[in-house]
Formats: sequence, structure tokens, C-alpha cells
Amino acid sequence: MGVFIDIVNVVLPAAYAVVVWTYGKAFFGDLPWAKAVKSHMLQSALALHFLFLVVRTIEFNHPPVTTIFEILTVLAFCVALAYWIIEIRSHSTETGYFILNIAFFFQFVSSIFIRDLLEVPEILQSSFFGLHVTSALLGYSAITISAVYGFLYLMLYHRIKASKFGVIYEKLPNLETLERMSYTGFKMAFLFLGLAILVGFLWLPQTFLEVSYIDPKLVGTIVLWLLYGAGILAKRVGDWRGRRVMILSVCGFWITIFSMSIVNIWFTGFHSFY
Amino acid sequence: MNLLSVGISHHTAPLEIRERVWFSADEIRVALAKLRAESDAEVVLFSTCNRTELYAFSPGESVPDSERLRMFLLTEKRATDIPETAFKTRKGMEAVTHLFEVASGVDSLVIGDVQILAQVKEGLALAREADAAGFFLTRLFQAALHTGRRARSETRIGEGAVSVSYAAVELAEKIFERLAEKRALVLGAGEMAQLTAKHLRAREIGELLIVNRTRERSEALAAQVKGTAAAYEDLASHLRSVDILISSISVEGYVLTADQLREINRKRDGALFIIDIGVPRNIDPAVRDLENVFLYDLDNLNGLVHENEQKRVNEIPRVQRIIEEELREFGSWFNGLHATPTIAALTDLVENIRKTEVEHNINRFDPRDRELVDLLTRRIVKKILHTPIVNLKNGTGESRSERLSKISALRKLFGIDHEKDARHDG
Repeated sequence: MGVFIDIVNVVLPAAYAVVVWTYGKAFFGDLPWAKAVKSHMLQSALALHFLFLVVRTIEFNHPPVTTIFEILTVLAFCVALAYWIIEIRSHSTETGYFILNIAFFFQFVSSIFIRDLLEVPEILQSSFFGLHVTSALLGYSAITISAVYGFLYLMLYHRIKASKFGVIYEKLPNLETLERMSYTGFKMAFLFLGLAILVGFLWLPQTFLEVSYIDPKLVGTIVLWLLYGAGILAKRVGDWRGRRVMILSVCGFWITIFSMSIVNIWFTGFHSFY
Repeated sequence: MNLLSVGISHHTAPLEIRERVWFSADEIRVALAKLRAESDAEVVLFSTCNRTELYAFSPGESVPDSERLRMFLLTEKRATDIPETAFKTRKGMEAVTHLFEVASGVDSLVIGDVQILAQVKEGLALAREADAAGFFLTRLFQAALHTGRRARSETRIGEGAVSVSYAAVELAEKIFERLAEKRALVLGAGEMAQLTAKHLRAREIGELLIVNRTRERSEALAAQVKGTAAAYEDLASHLRSVDILISSISVEGYVLTADQLREINRKRDGALFIIDIGVPRNIDPAVRDLENVFLYDLDNLNGLVHENEQKRVNEIPRVQRIIEEELREFGSWFNGLHATPTIAALTDLVENIRKTEVEHNINRFDPRDRELVDLLTRRIVKKILHTPIVNLKNGTGESRSERLSKISALRKLFGIDHEKDARHDG
């Protein structure tokens, strides 16, 4: 199984690269063969990725959520899976190129740095931990998808404003659809991050004797959660709509990436287990 | 191939001449009846605002007389003063190619015109109804319709709005998810506003308000587009709740300034799409800088139309490839016309009759004789068909037209004129 894991670890980013390339050919080149095969290729990549995660879990006796690079491969899977569900439900295949690029990027980074961990601390085997990490991953996937739709909204918004027509104008769904999809992701991000924080707070005193509530990752996530909450509030009761909410969504994504990178590289706290 | 087409189009004559030889459906019926009475040629006639074309196919020796057909069209429309140069005559495969190009929209005034396919289809329907289109022209027109449908589904020849009013609606659909849930306000009752309002209604806009300084005119347009007439004085209050504003009134100065709209925008929810087609412009261009407000004037819309036209032109080579494929297909059908398909259809027809009759009556015979009955009827059918099949196969010394004429007569006699090829069913 070790050989299989090593091979698939290399094949997966390549598979996502091919999927992204095919979606790009369909979007920009309007090629019939690319349109015909792109969804099937995504399904194949997802199936391989799922198998990889299952085999890895069996082989190392823990779900792949214990390091940032393990989390990245699960995140890549979640983003690609979420997009696939959106594609099936909306019958719109035009945004795949943009979203799957993110999945490819996460998998690419993960494949380079991921390590094989055979021993996992006991605290990571708690069911609270599973719920905590699952919620956080769903939250981050929602942040990613919301940001991509927000980015597409802003691109189309400026093109329509400037009367610049072209492939982006032709192929993307309308602004209201993009806004709706992005805002759904936005709300999901708030919901799942909130759940991850709540579960974390319940789990912390049971697991650690000395808990610091100023753990960098915890503080960063709470700040991010508050930011998304403020965005929802601004849209519901304030006069924020359209472009402003989409800018907030894109900024939220970059703040997430930036803060998580900074926290993981420069700070240590109880969130570091290895 | 004794095929001929005589036609007048935007390539050969201006509108004031074309409109004089435009045939209504009733006029086409009358013309087809007269042509059928005069000769045994198959004929199809169709007429649009940009072209009137007559296709004639003679199963006999000679090609139909182009001069006679041209004069027939002119006499029918009492327009014999129109010069010969306004018409273009095509023969054989040139006529086939032309018809395929017409059906594909590459010969249209507006490249990729979606109407032409329906008009060609209607021409064939009228000819079949008048018994003027036989097996050849039916097959030819069905092949043309098939080519046209392929051009539209396999290329982007018909995509993108190519009129200003339609471009405005297309833009609205790029902003809003469901027009059925939106409100539009048409300010003014000019031609362009009317057209845009009609397009919006066709796209099932939720609500259409018509505002004009003259109440009667707004009520008249509202009745036309199933809208609601509203008072000009209430314009500001309506602007708070509409999603689309089409402005085309003649007025000095701006109807709506950026400051006014900024104020209105505070009380609004969602995007506002404004089409300013007034000359001079009705809306302050500075409105464009406001968030979630999309302002388009005539120049912007013309830019979009021009881009779409160029994209359609770029698709012509792809359409031409489809036309070439279909021409090859039609050519091979025509080349095989003299024997094989007709023999197969005739054999099937007679064999089906034999089979049905034997099945219905077989119980009347002694079981020991039943096999013999089947064998006997087969032999009778075979012997009856032997001579006609041999004559069809070995048309030695016959001209191509004689053979086609013979096949045509045979198909008509046995009622196998209607195409069985479902692929070309129109």
C-alpha cells in the first residue's frame, strides 16, 4: 500500500492539472472534445483522490487531518467535490476551470510536503477532534468556493461596466447567479467555522490541562469568523450588496491563506501537534 | 441534374425592388398551382423580406426555362419592369450549394439569421401541400434544413445579439438571474424603446411599466406589450423599485443625474441596469461610476452588436465545412438515385403487402399447404417485379433525365414519394 500511496501522491496533482487544462480548453477554446470529457475526467480524479485518502487512512491508522499538508489534500478533495456537486445541481460547467485551479494548487503543495506519519498522539483520536477538523475543513472549502465565485463576479462586473465583451462575458453565468453562489459559500463558511470553534472550545478543557485562549490559530480563526459574520450582517441589515460583499469574500480567502501560513510558520501553540 | 433556381435577394436588388416581388403564403399557393398546371416540373417557392427564390426540378429531358420562371414571378406580382439584373439564376449543384448556404444563414443579410430556417421550412410545406414538391425537391429541401440545423447546433453562427434592442435584453440577462422576477420601466415610446420592451416581454419580464409625458402614448404602448402605464410625475418613486430602465425620450438636459440616482440608490436593493437610447442622452454619464449601476448608451450597444456580428462572420468557415459534408451526402444520394434506393423501396413495399395478405389468410389453407402458399406468393411477387427491376437497373441507351423521369414516375405510381430517411424529416 505504501508504493500505491507514493505513486498516487505524484499522480494526483498531475490528474488535477489535466482536469484543469481540459476545463480551460473547454472554456477558452470552446473545443467540443474538451466539453464532452471534462466532467468525466473530474469524476475520475475525484475517485482516485477518494481512494488515496481511504488507503492512507488505513495504512497510517488515522484520517489525514493531522498536519497542514494532510489537511491540504483533504481540502483539495473537498473543493473539487463541492464543485462537482455544484456542477450537477446547477447544470453549469463554466466555472470549473477557476475553482479546480485552487484544488490543483492545494494538492500540488500537499504532494510536495506531505509526510508519512505512523504514530498519532492520542488526543487526535477523539471524536470531538474529528468533528472539529471536519467542520473547519468544510468552512475553509466554503471560503475557497465563495472567494472564487466572488472573484468571477468582480471580473464580470468590471467587464460589463466597461463594455468589454469577450470570453469571460460570454461564458460566465450572470452576476446574480455568481453573487448567490458566492454568498451561499460565505454563509456556509460562517456556519462551519462557528461550529469548528464551538466544538474546539468544548473539547479544549477536556484534552489540555493548561489551555491558552490566545493560541494564534484560534485567534486567527475567531477573527476570520467575526469578519464573515460582519459581512452577513452588513448584507442583511446594512446596504451592502453585490460588489462590496464579493470583495469581502475574496479578501476573506486571502486573509485565511495569509493568517494560516503566518501562524503555521512563525507561531507555536497547542494547535501544533508535530 | 435538371435543377434550376431563380431568385432575387439583398445581394442583387435593393429593398424597394425586393418588396415588389415578395409573395405572401396565399400568393405562393396560387403561384405553385399555376406552375404545376403548366409543366411537370417540381417547384418550391419561398419569400422573405430579403429574398424571393423559386426552385424548379424537371424529371424530364430539359432544364426548366429560367427566363420563363423569372417572367412568371414578375407577371404574378405585376412587376415586369424589374430588370433581369435584379435576378440571379443558378443551375445544378450551384443551386443546391446556394440553398444550403441560405438555410445555414451564411447568405443572409444578418449572418446567422434564425428566421431563414423557418422560412425555408415553410416554403417546402407549402409546396408539399400544393403537391408541387416531388421526391427530388423534398429531399433537397430536407437536406438543406438538416444542414441549417447542423450549422446552428455545431457552430456559433446564430449566437449573440445582432440588433441593438436585442443586445440590451441579452445584457440584462447577463446581470439578472431571472427576468421573470424583475421590473422594467420604459421611459418614452419611441421605436427603439418599443422594440426593447417587446423583447423584454418575450423574455417574460416580471413587470413592465411604461412612462411617457403623453399619457395616451404610454397607454397605447402598454397595451401593445402587456405593460402598465404610469404617470411621468411618479418617475422618481418608480425608480426605487425597478431593476431595468430603458430611457428614450427627447428632452433637453438629463432626466436623471448622478446625484439624484445616488440618492435613489440608497433606498434600492440589487443592481440597476439602465439603457439610454435617447438622443441627446437622457441619463448623466457620471451614473456609470455608481456602484451596482450599469449604464449603456447607443454606442455601447452598437459595440456589442458589432462584436457579435464579427464573431458570426468568423464562424462562416466552420459552416462551410458542414455545407461541404452535406453536399457530398446529397451528391451521393443523387448519384445513387437511378436504381438502388427505388428498387429497395419498391421491393419492401410489395413484400410487405404479400406478407400481410398471407398472414391474414393463411388459416384458410390446410396446414400442409401453408408453406407452399408462402413459396407461391413469393414467386408471384418476384416474377411481377422482375421486369421493372431489370428495366430500372439496365437503362442502357437512356439519358440520365429519362432514367430519373422513369424513377420519378414509378415512385409516384407506387406511392413511395415520401422520404423514409428519418434523419431528414423536417
